[in-house]
Amino acid sequence: MTHVLTRGAYALPGTSLAFKTGDWRSTEKPLHHHRKAPCHDACPAGEDQQAWLARLQEGNLEGAWLELVKANPLPAITGRVCPHPCETACNRKHMDQPIAIHNVERWLGDEAISRGWQYPVTTPSAEAPKVAVVGAGPGGLSAAYHLVRLGYRATVFEALPEIGGLLRAAIPMTRLPRSIIDAEGERLLALPGLELLLRQKLGRDVSLAELRSEFAAVVLAPGCQKSRPWDVAGAVPQHLHEGLHLLKEWIDHGWLPEARRVVVHGGGNTAVDLCRIMKRNGAEEVHLLTASGLPGPDTDPDDVLNVVPRELEEALEEGIQIHPHVTINRLIMKGSVFTGVEMVSLRKLPGQDGRKRRIPFEGTERLLHCDMVVPSIGEIVDPEGIEEILGQHKYLHPKDDTCELGDHPGVYVLGDARGDRGTVAAAIGDGRMAALTIQRRINGAEPLPPDTREVATFDKLNIEYFDRTERAPLRKLPVAERNDESEIELDLTGPEAAAEARRCMSCGNCLACDNCWTLCPDNAVIKTVEMASDGTHYVFDYDFCKGCGLCSAECPCGFIDMVPEDTVLPAATT
Amino acid sequence: MTDTSNATRLAELRLKHGRPPASPAEPSAPPRDKDLRKSQPRFRGLEAGHRACQGCGEALATRLVMESAGPDVMIANATGCLEVFTTPWPESAWRVPWIHSLFENAAAVAAGMESAMKAKGHRTKVLAFGGDGGTYDIGFQSLSGMLERYHNVLYVCYDNEAYMNTGIQRSSSTPHAASTTTSPSGKARMGKRHLKKDLLSIIAAHHIPYAASASVAYPTDIRRKVRHAMETEGPTFIVIHSPCPLGWGHDGSVTIEVARKAVQCGLFPLVELERGEVCNVMPIRQPQPVSEYLKLQSRFRHLFNDKDPRALEERQHLQALADHNITLFNLRGDQADPMDTAGMDTVRRGGPVH
Repeated sequence: MTHVLTRGAYALPGTSLAFKTGDWRSTEKPLHHHRKAPCHDACPAGEDQQAWLARLQEGNLEGAWLELVKANPLPAITGRVCPHPCETACNRKHMDQPIAIHNVERWLGDEAISRGWQYPVTTPSAEAPKVAVVGAGPGGLSAAYHLVRLGYRATVFEALPEIGGLLRAAIPMTRLPRSIIDAEGERLLALPGLELLLRQKLGRDVSLAELRSEFAAVVLAPGCQKSRPWDVAGAVPQHLHEGLHLLKEWIDHGWLPEARRVVVHGGGNTAVDLCRIMKRNGAEEVHLLTASGLPGPDTDPDDVLNVVPRELEEALEEGIQIHPHVTINRLIMKGSVFTGVEMVSLRKLPGQDGRKRRIPFEGTERLLHCDMVVPSIGEIVDPEGIEEILGQHKYLHPKDDTCELGDHPGVYVLGDARGDRGTVAAAIGDGRMAALTIQRRINGAEPLPPDTREVATFDKLNIEYFDRTERAPLRKLPVAERNDESEIELDLTGPEAAAEARRCMSCGNCLACDNCWTLCPDNAVIKTVEMASDGTHYVFDYDFCKGCGLCSAECPCGFIDMVPEDTVLPAATT
Repeated sequence: MTDTSNATRLAELRLKHGRPPASPAEPSAPPRDKDLRKSQPRFRGLEAGHRACQGCGEALATRLVMESAGPDVMIANATGCLEVFTTPWPESAWRVPWIHSLFENAAAVAAGMESAMKAKGHRTKVLAFGGDGGTYDIGFQSLSGMLERYHNVLYVCYDNEAYMNTGIQRSSSTPHAASTTTSPSGKARMGKRHLKKDLLSIIAAHHIPYAASASVAYPTDIRRKVRHAMETEGPTFIVIHSPCPLGWGHDGSVTIEVARKAVQCGLFPLVELERGEVCNVMPIRQPQPVSEYLKLQSRFRHLFNDKDPRALEERQHLQALADHNITLFNLRGDQADPMDTAGMDTVRRGGPVH
């Protein structure tokens, strides 16, 4: 072949690859950065909602449930009773409405029960260390589950003839049908390596010393079984019924004292549940007196009534009268007959030492006529069996989230008994942390350090890439049809749950949307596998990346950071 | 050919392309190429290593067009940034046949290539690429001729609104009031005195089968328009709004945001024309004020000088031009549309929605 010399010239295709434009980068390079989604960060149970919603977006229902039960083995229960701080934290609230994570979790938990998905647990070896768990409430069950997951054997001691603890004793059937506790609990208890001993009360049937000598570790999850003492300036009406006790009586026996006008004093879920039950069972007026405020734009978040928001909404729908920022000043007695209370406005204000205290305001006293007052101001730990470690305290105080009881090695305390927890989800999270700490201790390691990864805040996202969509509707029984048995909130349908999952913006984690791959002018983002969805299939080719930062600016999820050249981000840990 | 030689040939092809063997008797392919770049699920018509600036809108637009146009194409390229940054001798970033001749004759060269292909009985589609200088101004005559002679050519104009390659001189595509080196803002004028040429209407007047405007901010839309043009027999034309970080004075990381704002404010309407008639527009879900677009770029910085009364006047002028586009093309739409400015770039797990 002869070459004809002309003034033209040619180059071979794609030869520009010999020229590495990567050395044009002057300051920064793009790097994938797994941040914590705000829902994950806010979850007391340690669930990664973003991760399981991502599996749902892929249409992998069982995968989503398996991702969920990595942290929380009781989603059908928490999906009904949790105050869902995840939804409060959801970045979507800045755009339209938060994702209905709570309802999707419940739907997923119910699916798992009806389809019989298996917990990801293998049979522990016969030589695996045994751990004692005291209490079969949500915290104890969670600890036992996580211990078995980590390859240990767990023995659960429960004083009552049934499992569930507070779930069964104090949460009305309208919020949590007993069939759900039975279904989810029994599936859990059927796990290999998990043994349940009912009617075994600490201090009566077993002693703490025995447990400590026979087991590799002891997890205490007794909850709070004793009502906090209540009186008004030393006075207590005759026939006083304490809130939690009354609720238990009603749940176990269906018994309620008769009263026309009732005052409930307290500001928690028990108080509100009780108000609603009294109202439904014939009380004409039910008043809730609380020192906290109602949620609203002007209310300090620390000062808001500690009640699941939708429960509060339903209580108002049902006609409960709530008196915020008041306390009971005096009991009005006609001879020995109780006829009402005198209440006074108050606020929690910081004193000179900076600590908040309750300041009642003179001149705001007023009377409220009623036939019965029910205190529901919280519970404390029942000291039976744990006197030696409880001492004079109202609660057991482990040092931090590892749940280790400082002066008593091998003893772990979780859930309500800690005094600084208040939700089922927190107890479940403690159960997981206790199990992880036990594993580290048995292996002679220090407990896991807290997860300090950065949270993906709203400003990290590029919301141009998300459509505004309506949150899934929450269907409820109409007020007139509500009774003591039927669940008030209804389940999502499958398509609704799937649509809701698709609203997740995947904060801080790859959405596999191809934006970086599509928008790199320099072909410096390489996509390797078409079907992956976790970000591992996008690779930065630093030989050619000029460092313009377009991929970072156009990443919808805040997953790409522009960082100094020598930065190496730590690998994601969960 | 006999069946045996067919089978042998197929086995060879399977081996060559790394496909699994059809039977155990066949030799299996060597382990897959470890070069991740080569195993990507898209056609790399324009490779890395080109010398475009950081965040170049034109390089991105070209890459997107090449991906959708596919491997069986030939390109005639006018002089301009694209020609310069893709082919520094002796290298080329192109992986398809590509010819550069002069600034003014890309369309004429493409017409010749198309005729040659036709004469040889090949179906290879010919593309012509030019910047706004090579299209709106210098190559306009040959473009008009190519359209009139009805060559089966797709002409793509990468519109970065000035002669960027030679140092940011104004072109007839430069928008009104933009500052360039030959239309500087100062005492005499607030940037360019004249208006942006309405090229699409002139193209439409040629009565060609398909003409469209697109923007790098909407890659899905570019893909759809390029594929439609590729399937169309006869001359087709696409102008793609491609921000130039250097010439427009914005950071390379906001190229897409700038382009998106231009569409969302109405200054660069995305429309499709068939036989000279508007047949489709991308509606704007929530029109943005033009100042949102202008303030991102230093070529419009003089419009934000509060001490100069002309600044507000020119800003209002540009707003009026944008509003005129919105009225002219009925860009407001009736309701939220999955193909409007907000719906078009919506993503979900696994890629864009459309």
